Amino acid sequence: MLASVRSATEGDGFVPPGTKDFDLPPIIEGVEWFTKPVLLVMVSVVLISVFFVLSARKAAVVPSKFQFAGESIYGFVRNDLAKDIIGHEFMRFVPYLFTLFVFILTNNIFGIVPFLQFPTMSHVAFPYVLAALSFFVFHYVGVRKHGVIKYIKDIAFMPGVPKPVYILLTPIELATFFLVRPLTLSLRLFANMFAGHLLLLVFILGGEYMLNDSLLIMKLFAPFSFLFGIALTFFEFMVQCLQAYIFTLLTALYIAGALADEH
Amino acid sequence: MSGNREENALWSIFGYLISGLLFWGGIGWAGDRWLGTTYLTLVGLLVGAGGAIYLVWLRFGRE
Repeated sequence: MLASVRSATEGDGFVPPGTKDFDLPPIIEGVEWFTKPVLLVMVSVVLISVFFVLSARKAAVVPSKFQFAGESIYGFVRNDLAKDIIGHEFMRFVPYLFTLFVFILTNNIFGIVPFLQFPTMSHVAFPYVLAALSFFVFHYVGVRKHGVIKYIKDIAFMPGVPKPVYILLTPIELATFFLVRPLTLSLRLFANMFAGHLLLLVFILGGEYMLNDSLLIMKLFAPFSFLFGIALTFFEFMVQCLQAYIFTLLTALYIAGALADEH
Repeated sequence: MSGNREENALWSIFGYLISGLLFWGGIGWAGDRWLGTTYLTLVGLLVGAGGAIYLVWLRFGRE
């Protein structure tokens, strides 16, 4: 991974962080697809599996700390997300929502874990796939419950509106359900992770550059840049949790909407 | 849906506004390109925003 550690002082003057900082080289030369984000996703899958298998294996009535931690996360997704939003049919969707939440959360937090320090979701392909999955799930659920024709009709034609108004409203409804929803779902997650990583790079690399500058005044102010970088790291942690939550929350809301009898 | 109606409304309003602006604004923009005018984009955006707000009212306002 050392090959991808970057310094602000290469070349002349300060090199501001940009999109090229997300273009990481393959870890093994010649294996083009195997980059850091891919490795991080694999690591996250292993970590999550091991954590929850271990926390559930020796499940006891009086839980150990480990079991308690696992059960708190599960309980949070099951009760505060699935049950509150979807209602009586919620149990079917808990596995998906739970996996989604934990997967996104872990991969987001990789952004501030020392030495890993890269949020997987700042590569837009990962949020796209997750959003496509959620898109498929909530439409599938709706189609299964209502049948294709009734489901589309429910979306496209709001009851109690004079017919000509449908020319105005139907395109908006269809665009919302089939375009804007998956797009906002993925882009919100991607943009937050991308911008957050960029923000941290600015302050950390800026601090490094100032520290290496020949002027004393620059050296003196470098610690402030680092301090700000640390403060923003805590802020990032908050954003990372929040984004995992919002993604899961919206998926649950969309499922609930697809299950509802009428809009 | 259960007790989270306000929360639902909040997210739906956001989605409707975006798609209203995108769709009708896009139509207006295409019209401008086609006819060589400059005001249709604005008209489209306003129609889209209006339609979206109407839709939000239909879905969450009337009871």
